[in-house]
Amino acid sequence: MGMGKRKKRQRENEYPWALVITTAAIFTTVIVGIIVFRFYMRGFKEETENKTYSRYYVMITEDRKSSFWQSVYRGAFERGQEEDVYVDMLGDNLSESYTREEMMRIAISSHVDGIIVAADESGRMTSLIDEAVQEGIPVVTCYNDNSHGKRCSFVGVGNYNLGKEYGRQVLKILEEENYDANVMVVDQVTDTATSVYFDRKSPVKIVVLASAYVQDPGKIILFSTIQETIKMEGGANVKVELSQVSINDSNAFAAEEAIRDLFMEEEIPDIIICLNELNTTCAYQAVVDYNKVGQVSILGYYDSDTIIKAIDRNVIYATASIDTEQMGKFCVDALTEYNELGYTSQYFTTDVKIIDKDNVSDYLGGDEDDTEAP
Amino acid sequence: MIQKLRDLSLQGKVSSIYLLANLLVLVVNMVLLLGINNMSKEMDMVYHDNLHLNELADTLTAVQDNMTDYLTIKTSDSLENYFRSEQNYEQMIQELNVDVTDKAFDRMERNIKSMSETYLRIVGETIDAKRGRNVEKYRNKYESATQIYHYIHTYINSLNAEQFRNNSQNYSKLSSAFRIFETISYMVMFVVILGNVTIITNLAATITRPLKTLSGLADEVARGNFDIELMEISSRDEIGVVTRAFNQMVISIRQYIERIRQSMERERELKEKELMMETHLKDAQLKYLQAQINPHFLFNTLNAGAQLAMMEGADRTYEYVQNMAEFFRYNVKKGDETVTVGEEIELVDNYIYILNVRFSGDIHYEKEVDQSLLHVEMPSMILQPMVENCVNHGIREMAGKGRIWLSVYRIDDNVCISVKDNGIGMSKDTIDKVISGTYKDEELAAGSNGIGMDNVIARLKLFTECEDVMTIISGGKDRGTEVILYLPIREQEEEDV
Repeated sequence: MGMGKRKKRQRENEYPWALVITTAAIFTTVIVGIIVFRFYMRGFKEETENKTYSRYYVMITEDRKSSFWQSVYRGAFERGQEEDVYVDMLGDNLSESYTREEMMRIAISSHVDGIIVAADESGRMTSLIDEAVQEGIPVVTCYNDNSHGKRCSFVGVGNYNLGKEYGRQVLKILEEENYDANVMVVDQVTDTATSVYFDRKSPVKIVVLASAYVQDPGKIILFSTIQETIKMEGGANVKVELSQVSINDSNAFAAEEAIRDLFMEEEIPDIIICLNELNTTCAYQAVVDYNKVGQVSILGYYDSDTIIKAIDRNVIYATASIDTEQMGKFCVDALTEYNELGYTSQYFTTDVKIIDKDNVSDYLGGDEDDTEAP
Repeated sequence: MIQKLRDLSLQGKVSSIYLLANLLVLVVNMVLLLGINNMSKEMDMVYHDNLHLNELADTLTAVQDNMTDYLTIKTSDSLENYFRSEQNYEQMIQELNVDVTDKAFDRMERNIKSMSETYLRIVGETIDAKRGRNVEKYRNKYESATQIYHYIHTYINSLNAEQFRNNSQNYSKLSSAFRIFETISYMVMFVVILGNVTIITNLAATITRPLKTLSGLADEVARGNFDIELMEISSRDEIGVVTRAFNQMVISIRQYIERIRQSMERERELKEKELMMETHLKDAQLKYLQAQINPHFLFNTLNAGAQLAMMEGADRTYEYVQNMAEFFRYNVKKGDETVTVGEEIELVDNYIYILNVRFSGDIHYEKEVDQSLLHVEMPSMILQPMVENCVNHGIREMAGKGRIWLSVYRIDDNVCISVKDNGIGMSKDTIDKVISGTYKDEELAAGSNGIGMDNVIARLKLFTECEDVMTIISGGKDRGTEVILYLPIREQEEEDV
């Protein structure tokens, strides 16, 4: 009886506890539910901490999607991060595509802190650069200069070195192929062709694909250096016909068509020297399409994946690898220096290196980072 | 608090359970609703940026249109409109972000703001040039303003599109979050309902448990078991009251029963005492009688008288005295022994003989006896008192017409001994009184050996160990009486029969 009584009393004492526990369980469920949900919401709401920069530079170029310019931009961007500068590739987020001039106008009216522009020698560009400088925006030209404008600095390839390298490569090709070289130097645009005939019967035809603006002194230097190198280093028995074809790159698709036109002509050039990435890729594609592999040697520019692979496949003979990231970095450095000191060096020259089938394997392995500086 | 809860009335308890359950559901629902409200606010905000950008674009267009209007037709209305829209636009661009950050949206906003400022400046210059009628200048300015207007539009549209894409992603994330919220809500509600059910069942059980116990106890009491454990009173509600009343009732019943038991005990003791007194009295009477008559002396004396009568040749006297001696000897010898039916009948014969001598043959005595039953055992001094009764109350006054029939016969396992007279008979009342032993004969002590009918019946009952030992049949006044007694034949006797 005593046991039963105790048991009963125990049971009677249990029910308030059951009540408390159940209520606690309910509230715990509610609270846990809320916390779980909050946690979930926070997970998706979480935004990256926005860093604010003190300066804003924009980069303006015609084909910003090419890996060459992407690489230049990356170099500039990374340098900018170090110097508390945000470098934007203008036009990346816009629904319409604008020409360089329009983008210059946008940059000027946006009052950016600096403009990096792949300029040309046109008068409109000059006036836009001048307008920007007038508005207090320093302009750095990159890769292509506008020597008449008030740009504070030009970051480009050392054209003399580049020309020398191209000349040597031409000689190397001639040596390997044992051509009866005839180098013809033709400037179709200015119509001031000067042919140098060596004592060879059929001259080797070399075409240099250049931008449309002859005023570009860099290109003139490049061209004459190629010429000179062949002449000086090849000796008197080298006979080549060196010509220059201007590609109007201000017009979309123009490059592709102009290069294809070359192959439609009667006399297809033996060596094509390309001075930008787009031309290199187009020439490579044309050689493959017109089944001229082995007949036409291409000297390329830049070391994109496609170009490296083409060298590996012996379609492109060699390419001039430019340290693009260094180029971008120099641009930012020049602007920052100008902004801080009011002056900067007029010229920055980036390193150039030739990639041919002898050393292409070094670049093939690490093509993830195709712009790696040699 | 728990004690307070216990002290509530039944209605209070039920109400508080109901309130508690509802309160729980209410709180949980409010929390969930709050969540839903937050979510919907969040969802409303998703496209807020887009709306804002659209407004911005509209205002920009208004500025451009009003400027164009003014340049086309130089009215004060259009100028006023221009100023209004310009002010609007200026206010709106103030809200835009000016910082250069990692976010493309922020930078676009910054550019929109800068360009808008340039645009407004140029537009202002255009308007001024128009007022100053500087045709060349305002034409140029208008062109560049329009150009920038288009750029801004492109920026706004691009930003809008980008943000829309981003917001759509957010929206789909939000709506999936909403689904999750829904699931969580369902789960929470389920748990709450489960908990509520548990609480209600628990609390309801606390109300009904004492009731169940009480009903169980009541059932026990109804079955006659008063020796139950009293219920503990744990609450002050109606059940507590009922429990207390029930406990009180059980205690009262117990006390009442105890009292009755005690009074019965007392009564029994009294009766016992009375009986003892009677027994002692009887004993005393007997001792007295025995002391008066020394049986052996009387018996020897009578024997000597009988021998004297024989020597004198008085045969009748001898026989009479001999019978007398037999009668008394029986009385002395068998007073407390078991005898046979035959011996009893012999005594009756002696007695009748003595009476007939005494009353000069007034009594006609006939007997019809089954000889096989003569050895059946019975208590002594049974038949003689019965016959004496017949003589005293039945036929004494009849002066020679009285008759007595004695018969012994067998019915089933019983020996029936019937003593019948044709005397004055008995009323029903008297019969009942005699049978129940409450009839008291005043004359008893006078002319008898002192054994009354009640004594006869009592001894027969003790002997046979059953109640129905005697039947008295009487036709009524002057119609005679028949007294029949039944003796069961025991097994051993049966063999002898």
